[in-house]
Amino acid sequence: MARTLAMFTDTSLCIGCRACQVACKQWNELGLETPEWTGTYQNHAHFTDQTYRLVRFVEAPGAKPGGDLAWLLMSDVCKHCAQAGCLEACPTGAIYRTEYGTVNINQDVCNGCRYCVASCPFGVVAFNEHTGTAKKCTFCNDRIHNGLGPACAKACPTDSIQFGFRDELVAKASKRVETLKAMGFKEAQLYGADSKGFLGGLNAFFLLLAKPATYNLPDNPQRPQRNVVVDSLLSIGSAILVGVGAVLAFRERGKGDA
Amino acid sequence: MLKVPGWEMSIVWYFFLGGIAGGAYFTGAIADNFGSRRDATVARIGYLLALPLVLVCGVLLIVDLGVPVRFLNMLLHFKFWDPMSIGAWAVGVFGAFAFVSAVLSFTSSESMHALRRKISLVGIFFGFFLASYTGVLLSNSALPFWADARLMGALFLASGGSTGMAAVALIMALSGRRAGDSWHKIEVADRYSMLIEILVLAIFLALLGAAAKPLISGHFAPLFWGGLVGAGLILPLLLNFFGGRVRALGAVSAVLVLVGGFILRYVVVMSIQG
Repeated sequence: MARTLAMFTDTSLCIGCRACQVACKQWNELGLETPEWTGTYQNHAHFTDQTYRLVRFVEAPGAKPGGDLAWLLMSDVCKHCAQAGCLEACPTGAIYRTEYGTVNINQDVCNGCRYCVASCPFGVVAFNEHTGTAKKCTFCNDRIHNGLGPACAKACPTDSIQFGFRDELVAKASKRVETLKAMGFKEAQLYGADSKGFLGGLNAFFLLLAKPATYNLPDNPQRPQRNVVVDSLLSIGSAILVGVGAVLAFRERGKGDA
Repeated sequence: MLKVPGWEMSIVWYFFLGGIAGGAYFTGAIADNFGSRRDATVARIGYLLALPLVLVCGVLLIVDLGVPVRFLNMLLHFKFWDPMSIGAWAVGVFGAFAFVSAVLSFTSSESMHALRRKISLVGIFFGFFLASYTGVLLSNSALPFWADARLMGALFLASGGSTGMAAVALIMALSGRRAGDSWHKIEVADRYSMLIEILVLAIFLALLGAAAKPLISGHFAPLFWGGLVGAGLILPLLLNFFGGRVRALGAVSAVLVLVGGFILRYVVVMSIQG
């Protein structure tokens, strides 16, 4: 495996221009969608099969260092989790990990069972009715295999989205958090940078200026498959009860001690 | 903002019919192995019911795919920890057991009967699996309520048992076979299953607590309390206890159990996807 690549989205630098959103649509030839009023400047409202990058516009009262209302901007994307729920759920092997650590969906293999859609802790993976397959950010798989960064990172005019080797970006991000804290952004924190943290770390990680919940991100996302063993054992317990009941009902009296 | 997979009526039907197929098969296998010679009727009905149902299940699963012609892609991979992957395999393997058992239930030689009983003792595990894995599949997703329900597989298993037995009992009642003793046995077996299902459902709700909200309050609550708990479990259980050996009441009870089993799958699958 090659050295892990990552995208670091520093939300403190985002100006909400949506160049990333447009660049993503252009490079990946994603279609037009009917806009949806969300009560904010944010559009579109959610990730879809046509929207892989999405700038979130969050109005957070009291989140500014002086206690004023902060307008939090965050360019959101597939997290390319080190322990990816979608990848583990995929029964066809269509969802795979590239040699760079990113998670991708092979559109020629996916048969559209949609278990990945239900297994993404971030609501990223979306089903496309026309192709009948699951869609999400590819980390511009074609570009990174040709020495180019992802289209969104390339287009970002403020370097809010940075592309590079994961270890280098994490070091850079940690320093940036310290700087911001010194500036008075008390809630400045990294999200998904820690490879010992949730989901084994995210290969698209973030610097947030407020608690994750403010951005509609889960505080502690978990592997959806973590309960398979417990749930299966409980099912076996239920099977034993039902089975014993049926045996008792059908057993010939006189043969046993009933 | 999490996304729902858009599994709708074909998946509800699949969960329901898969539960009956698995339940009917393991009921048949238990009657075959532990019952008397006359209980062979129960065994045969169980096997013969499981076979067409599992075929329908396969069709339902395939047509629900985004790209149905690629359904075989699921059988190019095997992930032992992934319910969707082993489930796809299990439908196929269970279908093979149902086929062999159904064919062998028509043979008349004693050695073939012995072989059928041995085969069904292995097939029984796939029957249990088919009836329960769909619950484990839902409870190992990222979606609230589904992912919080540790007993989803156990509940589906108990429901698969009660609906499978009810389907066998209904066929016996409608075909008018004079298999009095076997009829009584399947009634008793179904009674145990219903009691287990009520017990599992109670613990299921207790463990869920507030996470059970999509079921117990709101749009789907009347269907859950009235359709499943009332008409689909308590009423048929009362009929089962107090109906004596009146066959018509037994048939009504069986129909109610089947309707309840369908409602269970319906409310679980649809309540968070509405």
